[in-house]
Amino acid sequence: MQRISVTVTLNRSTLQFDEAAFQRLEQYLADARRTLEGNPDREEILADLEQAVADQCTRRLAAGATTITLAELQPALDEIGQVQAPGPTLSVPGGAARPLRQISEGAVISGVCLGLARYFGLDVGLLRIAAVLLLFVTGGGMILVYLALMLLMPYAPLERGGKPLRKIPAKSRSFVEYVRGKLGVAAA
Amino acid sequence: MTAETKLAPIRKGLLEFLVLKIVGARSVYVADILRRLAGTEFATQEGTLYPLLSKLRREDLVLYEWQESDAGPPRKYYRLTEAGKAQLAALDEYWNLINRTIADIGT
Repeated sequence: MQRISVTVTLNRSTLQFDEAAFQRLEQYLADARRTLEGNPDREEILADLEQAVADQCTRRLAAGATTITLAELQPALDEIGQVQAPGPTLSVPGGAARPLRQISEGAVISGVCLGLARYFGLDVGLLRIAAVLLLFVTGGGMILVYLALMLLMPYAPLERGGKPLRKIPAKSRSFVEYVRGKLGVAAA
Repeated sequence: MTAETKLAPIRKGLLEFLVLKIVGARSVYVADILRRLAGTEFATQEGTLYPLLSKLRREDLVLYEWQESDAGPPRKYYRLTEAGKAQLAALDEYWNLINRTIADIGT
């Protein structure tokens, strides 16, 4: 017994792949997912890559053919290339600094750690561990620091047309916006 | 080490500057950016460009809107934000300064 073809939805396109091509594609996307670990834009980038694969494969498919094989997929992946994490942000001496912003997408609570990690170029996992350790060391005082940062740090704009936020980041964000509104602070 | 490998990190860093320049010249699709860079020392693949564009969007330098296309699904159409234009102007100016310095030293 053998599976003849697999129907795959790639972002906004649906295509037929044979088994070998399907496995190669799964491997490519899994590699990309791993490379983008910790990147707040990971899901968006993966969606872009899926769409690129769909477009490239469709373009390479011979007239009349419906199933994508390695003959189409491999050159398509070669043209798209392995996913590369972007380099550090360019900055001009004396120029405007990177904005310090909370990042709601992919946040655990409100996105303070994610924002700080992005700003200082640190690993967000390490920063979160440090925050939890500080919580114990300070006997809960860290909660006040987090709350203060949450209320003071502006939010980075949400991805347009992106997935809805998870429950806690969404709740945190509306809470912060509510408090800022009450205090008459312009919410960024 | 050849001159080319020595300059590889510089090329990688400058890609962001060039992408801002291309997006700043007129609103573009990803295919336009790839085409503009193809055949230059900065020839780039989608696997590199998408993460870079997402980062620039996250930093408020570019934004995109969805545009219907004749064939296939809608495409992202990128342009610079006000912050992106300011950043590009600053980078342009600094790049000219570097160029002058390089030209002046050793003459």
